[in-house]
Amino acid sequence: MRLISKTRLLASSMLVSASMFGLAVAATAQEATFVVSAQNVGTPSYNPITGTKLNDAITLIFDRMVIQDADQSFHGQLATEWESTADGMSWTFKLRPGVTFHDGEPFNAETIVWWIPQFADTENAFMTDAIESVQVIDDLTVEFVMKNPDPNLLSNMASGFMSIPSPKAFDELGDDFGVTAAVGSGPYKLESFTVGQETMLTANEDYAWASDLSENQGAPHIKTLTFREIPEDSTAFLELSTGGVDLLYSVPTEFLPRLESEALVQVGTMPGTGLFYIPINTTVEPFTDIKVREAAAFAVNQKEILDNLFGGVGSVANTFLIDSLLAANVDSALKISYDPDRSNSLLDEAGWVLGSDGVREKDGTRLQVALWTQNGTVFKRVTEVVQAQLKAVGIGADITVFDSATINDQYRKGTEHQLAVRSYSWANADIIDWFFSGQRLGYPNVSMWNDPTAEEMNVAAMKGSRTWEERVANFTTYHEYVLSQFVFAPIYQPVQIYAYGKDSITVPEAVRGTRLQSQTVVDITVN
Amino acid sequence: MMAAFEPIKTAIRSPRGGASAAVLLLVVACALFAPLIAPYAYDIQNLPGSNAEPSAAHWMGTDEFGRDLMSRIIYGARTSLTVAVTAISISVVAGLSLGAMAAYFGGWFDRTVTAVVDLTWSFPEILIALILIAIIGPGVGSVMVAVSIAYLAQFTRLTRAQIMALKNETFVEATTNLGAGHFHIIFRHLLPNALAPVIVAGMLATGDAIILEATLGFFGLGAQPPTPSWGAMMSSGTAQIFIAPWIIIFPGLAIAMTVISINLFGDALIEALDIRNRLRSV
Repeated sequence: MRLISKTRLLASSMLVSASMFGLAVAATAQEATFVVSAQNVGTPSYNPITGTKLNDAITLIFDRMVIQDADQSFHGQLATEWESTADGMSWTFKLRPGVTFHDGEPFNAETIVWWIPQFADTENAFMTDAIESVQVIDDLTVEFVMKNPDPNLLSNMASGFMSIPSPKAFDELGDDFGVTAAVGSGPYKLESFTVGQETMLTANEDYAWASDLSENQGAPHIKTLTFREIPEDSTAFLELSTGGVDLLYSVPTEFLPRLESEALVQVGTMPGTGLFYIPINTTVEPFTDIKVREAAAFAVNQKEILDNLFGGVGSVANTFLIDSLLAANVDSALKISYDPDRSNSLLDEAGWVLGSDGVREKDGTRLQVALWTQNGTVFKRVTEVVQAQLKAVGIGADITVFDSATINDQYRKGTEHQLAVRSYSWANADIIDWFFSGQRLGYPNVSMWNDPTAEEMNVAAMKGSRTWEERVANFTTYHEYVLSQFVFAPIYQPVQIYAYGKDSITVPEAVRGTRLQSQTVVDITVN
Repeated sequence: MMAAFEPIKTAIRSPRGGASAAVLLLVVACALFAPLIAPYAYDIQNLPGSNAEPSAAHWMGTDEFGRDLMSRIIYGARTSLTVAVTAISISVVAGLSLGAMAAYFGGWFDRTVTAVVDLTWSFPEILIALILIAIIGPGVGSVMVAVSIAYLAQFTRLTRAQIMALKNETFVEATTNLGAGHFHIIFRHLLPNALAPVIVAGMLATGDAIILEATLGFFGLGAQPPTPSWGAMMSSGTAQIFIAPWIIIFPGLAIAMTVISINLFGDALIEALDIRNRLRSV
């Protein structure tokens, strides 16, 4: 009797474990875990209209009207065709039929009529500023009547900030939209979101409107997709190499040699869209003096940072824009490139005399400034090197490390910070407007710069350009003026490096677009 | 006066007491004479020479900025010891006064002190320190304040228990009858007799305080860069653990060695003073 029960017990437990194992196998076949870029850790919301920072998962939950390929060409997603009149004062978009939001609401011309005015009075208002009104031509055709020509319209529409939410859900949820729930028409539905930790997505099985950039025209292959937020790069890397996660959106360059020797890890690179820089608060002593700003900017040894912290991968930054943008071609005399002699003589001229401890002084005040940074290995490292480089010309800097989720609130106070190490990721010249417009003091205008000449140039660049060429010329002028006022110090332009587990998932060889977005992710398969 | 050193001498004469005293002496010497002992400056970066293995030029290798790790550990002893010793000293002095007065006067004062002390006693030290730093902001000064407040409860309780036991002794009664004032009785008669266990507990707590300082440093809440702190050094070493393990190993060893020595010496001292039972009364 005893023997029988023992055998039974054994058999049933084997059965249970076998079925569990089977379940586990079935489950892993559908699931994957991605880790967001370190710079996106702490993104507070998935609200594309009001958000100032968006997570990597944004393009999976929402669709955009148009999207871009790696060569920056435009492809239709929710729009199938578009054209503008020769004077740039009218754009007509044909909309894709048969699209529904995750809540069952239809996508049509009425959605667009509702959507565009939502941007008014938000931080993203500049995206749609040029649009006077949206006219319905028929159920699937809309016309944008423009206040002024906007040669940048398509580029704006391809950004994650112009993702289209379900009007019904957006209005119902109000401030909670993007936090408690986010409803779009994208290949994935938002299941849950915990700020700073993780986002759970499930496949939208009705999805049948992928762009021509994706091979997979139906629902995405990965059924359950988790986005984890890991602020420490080495922790994220450990997770990847031990199989805890399947893909890292960003990998620091110093890990390249190690990653390439890992048998199970595949590394890919994309042209960079980002830039590291130091905004200089122009409203706080001693940086109200342009000479001190110029001295600080020329004290940063970009090459030293590129070679030693980033192993020579990427390139130095000498302007505020990434090299691939035409408005980055400024007068070479205005480029900011390490010149300690210039820094020293400027500080001498400004009356700052070198003290015995290597920090300059003027009228009993030490040239000791606050240098802010945020959590994360790369930020902390760059900041410590910058601290030493500033010290080399007699500027003492005290580092304060802030949590990446709260640092923007600190900037919004606007009065305490002096220097900071920051980075942005954006492939359009209008990033100059974003960070230096007098309309956005505190944050994003961390430099607190409000200059009448710059504001005029801003208007000309943002609203006064009829053609692409004119826009480039206007932005170049604006960019050159920003450079001449030393409101920031450029540091470094990274390339984008991503990595994934070779055995766990298959990522298409060519990444479409300027980042790893929905156009590529829907084609990723679980092995 | 010499009698006070007698237990210390006894402790040093025991094998573990002697060995741990030697290590502690070395750590204290590092802290006091760091500029003389350290082969390099702690903040001079040499980026091309970053993450170098231990070698003849750099006995413990270099960190991610090419700074000499041994020099940073020597200077780091300064941060760790200054924070721990200052914080615990403040804590001991405040705890002795509070505990003695609470026990001696009794009544509402005793009840208030006991309630507050019991409340803080119920939280782990790290939690109290984190809350305080969240309020006053990071930095060496903040860590000192946080650590001293975190350990205050322990010394107040210990002193109070000692004084409670002593205050009904006949010698106290005699002094009271002779017309001595409260403060004379507390500071001349009660406290000297209660001091030994508190000093030893303070010594042991110094070891814990070093760990607490390192923990806060690891979270980036202590000494700000480039000032070296063992905890912060370990924290930056975690990112390099596969590339340059020595960055995390040596500061870790420094912490372990110092804390173990403090504990061993404290144990030896307890035996020399023969106060194990009195420490247990807490």
